[in-house]
Amino acid sequence: MSDSATPFPGALAGLRVLDLTDYRAGLAGRLMADMGADVVKIEPPGGDPGRRIGPFVDDRPHRDRSLFFWFYNLNKRAITLDFGRDPGRELLLRLIDSADIVIENFKPGRLAEMGLGWEQLHQANSALILLSMTPFGQSGPFRDYEADDTVLAAQGGMLYVNGWPGRQPVRPLGLQSYHAAAYFGAIATLCALFARDRDSRGQWIDLSMQEATACAVEHVAGSYFGEGRIEPRRGTLHWSRYFRVGRCRDGYIMHCTLGDWTSLVEWVAADGKAQDLVQPQWEDVLYRAEHAEHLFDVLDDWVKDYARDELLERAQALRLPYATVRSPEALFADEQLAARGYFVEVEHPELGRSFSYPGAPYLFSGSPWRVTRRPPLLGEHTHEILREELGLTTAELAALTAEGII
Amino acid sequence: MPELPLVGIRVLDFTWVVAGPVATRLLADYGAEVIKLERKPGPPGSRQTGLQGDLHRDKRSIAVNMSHPRGVEIARRLAQQSDLVIDNFSARVMRGWGMDYASLSQIKPDIVCVSMSGLGHTGPRASYVSYGPTLQALSGYTLLMTEASGAPAGFGYSYADMAGGYTGALAALLALWHRRRTGRGQFVDLSQFEAVVSVVGPALLDIAVNGRTQEAPNFRSQELPAAPHGVYRCQPRDGNQDSDDDRWIALAVRTQSEWERFVVLLGAPAWSRDLRYRTLYLRIRNQAELDAHVTRWAAEQQAEDAMARLQHAGIAAGVVCNGADLCARNPQLQARDFWGTVTLPGGAATHVTGLPARLSATPGSIRTPSPLIGSANDYVLGDLLGYSAAERAALVEAGAVWN
Repeated sequence: MSDSATPFPGALAGLRVLDLTDYRAGLAGRLMADMGADVVKIEPPGGDPGRRIGPFVDDRPHRDRSLFFWFYNLNKRAITLDFGRDPGRELLLRLIDSADIVIENFKPGRLAEMGLGWEQLHQANSALILLSMTPFGQSGPFRDYEADDTVLAAQGGMLYVNGWPGRQPVRPLGLQSYHAAAYFGAIATLCALFARDRDSRGQWIDLSMQEATACAVEHVAGSYFGEGRIEPRRGTLHWSRYFRVGRCRDGYIMHCTLGDWTSLVEWVAADGKAQDLVQPQWEDVLYRAEHAEHLFDVLDDWVKDYARDELLERAQALRLPYATVRSPEALFADEQLAARGYFVEVEHPELGRSFSYPGAPYLFSGSPWRVTRRPPLLGEHTHEILREELGLTTAELAALTAEGII
Repeated sequence: MPELPLVGIRVLDFTWVVAGPVATRLLADYGAEVIKLERKPGPPGSRQTGLQGDLHRDKRSIAVNMSHPRGVEIARRLAQQSDLVIDNFSARVMRGWGMDYASLSQIKPDIVCVSMSGLGHTGPRASYVSYGPTLQALSGYTLLMTEASGAPAGFGYSYADMAGGYTGALAALLALWHRRRTGRGQFVDLSQFEAVVSVVGPALLDIAVNGRTQEAPNFRSQELPAAPHGVYRCQPRDGNQDSDDDRWIALAVRTQSEWERFVVLLGAPAWSRDLRYRTLYLRIRNQAELDAHVTRWAAEQQAEDAMARLQHAGIAAGVVCNGADLCARNPQLQARDFWGTVTLPGGAATHVTGLPARLSATPGSIRTPSPLIGSANDYVLGDLLGYSAAERAALVEAGAVWN
């Protein structure tokens, strides 16, 4: 873990975020916590349902051993608080007094029913930014509809275009609708901070996860609006028709026909596998796209006897943008990630172990991404925050515990 | 029109292809003045409609020849009047022009530079050439984009470019915010590879902690357990295009009460009383048999109707939207007026992707179509940099600027 006394604070140092979300929207606060914001996760006394989602450390289910929870909650503090009733609600409002950002993913209207809607929060703290992340947004005929990541991928156009033509759509690894929404949520929150810097007023951000998903599908809207085309499933053929998966003798590679054509075709020809690719019309990049199926069939026949790593190294030496199709396990042996210090060891003292976490997607020279604390145990910071910041006494804390508020 | 949140921020934009333009497009939609510096002629094909129209809207364009010393001089002078310089080249390109952070911070001490290279500026693979589809192959997504088992079956597009683009926009805003607070600029070395690896999710910790080899997720729930959970083929639609007949519904039945409502909705068929489906644990264990029943039910359904009935029973469900569903007939996206419209120079209108985050006081907006290359030459060279008309003509004559 990094030294907390480092001279460079993170870019969001000094900002207080109250994270009321459950597992579906936890990444937005995580992105802020990684950059130095003080993110306090507020869980119901039973804990975020994400604590019950596996995988678990050593496959032993426990609310403090969920790797699913860990991924979304690194660098946050956590308290338990039932703010659906008083005095929990009043305690939350006191925390909101000094907060900069609240993130929530309740069903539309639920916060208002609890007396914690935008109007009430804005009245309590006019500088507060409220980020609401819901499946379909705060308005419209679907606003009360249920969704998980799969339903969002369906309704956002992400599922339809993955898989083989005529067969069932295939879902990607990871909860990519939630993830895309989290990035949009963090970006919009930064925008609201810039606006607040001018007039000291916060605002309410209505984020639709369906819409975030629709943005994260590269080509579907452009093809429909630009050409009236409904993009089909194409297997591994990229819609631009410059990429397709091929099979080497020991695994798969990604072909790319956008690099230096002369270098590629000379190499293939030297192997005696060029067939008609030596003809001049293939030098035209648009011709290569138009006849992609034949082109990739010829290249598939060329690569089938290569070992994929050998093919990759030779291709890259010629500046051909080839890649191996690897398992995610291979990331842990990747020399490039290792050289850049991508994976970060995080200590979990109560388990007596440390674990390798995926790290920063960006290296900031002046305000770095860093790990300041492992993911919080359930209720780990309840007493610390309620006692030190709100001045509650030991007796008051005991009473709240007895009432099931904390 | 309400004020835009990023008003007053100027961006000198060297990005190209997809990921970089996605990042600067977001900054532009939210009000930054994005000046795209590019070559003429540009790549073949229209850039006012389709993906290209989406990528470059709300930006300005100047056509400057960076192979000419006076072109570089223009870029350096413009950097002095900018808050952010952003590129997605490998390290040597900006350094070669004297446009890297080390050089620019000499003439503009608080400049923010974000470089969104493929694999980062450091490390043994820094010079690898890559595109989004090759980066998602290196990251594990492509191998695990399969049906229950078998060869890769996707992606049909580049998710890596979108993930890289969002990460780039966030990086730029974080660095600009830091500067707002401290007055200090900095350099951000963003690896698009690391950006897409970072959204793999908890599977990476399962590998690191438990040493488990990851299997293709397909429709096994990656969140709260659910069964049935997946996509099921519905009745064909009598559409104008073949692909429009390919109808599917996605659904997730998670809790016991959802299961009971699901059974009622299906008309309580005899199979639903089978003891093998009595609890969630059993439904997951016997998911293949359960799926066969749901598949037979779904085949008799019209997808939109099934979605409405399932949702009214409180069950997560959604039509697997194709391009037409998404862009022309999704009741929710229509009601929220999600898709934006820009008017092209000829007067025709085209639709573009909207903004999924709506800020109540300073929403972003979609204002202008993708610019013609060099269309802001006079504004940038004249109004911002103070070149006279005669000097601008001389720059064109010298080959430093394209008209």
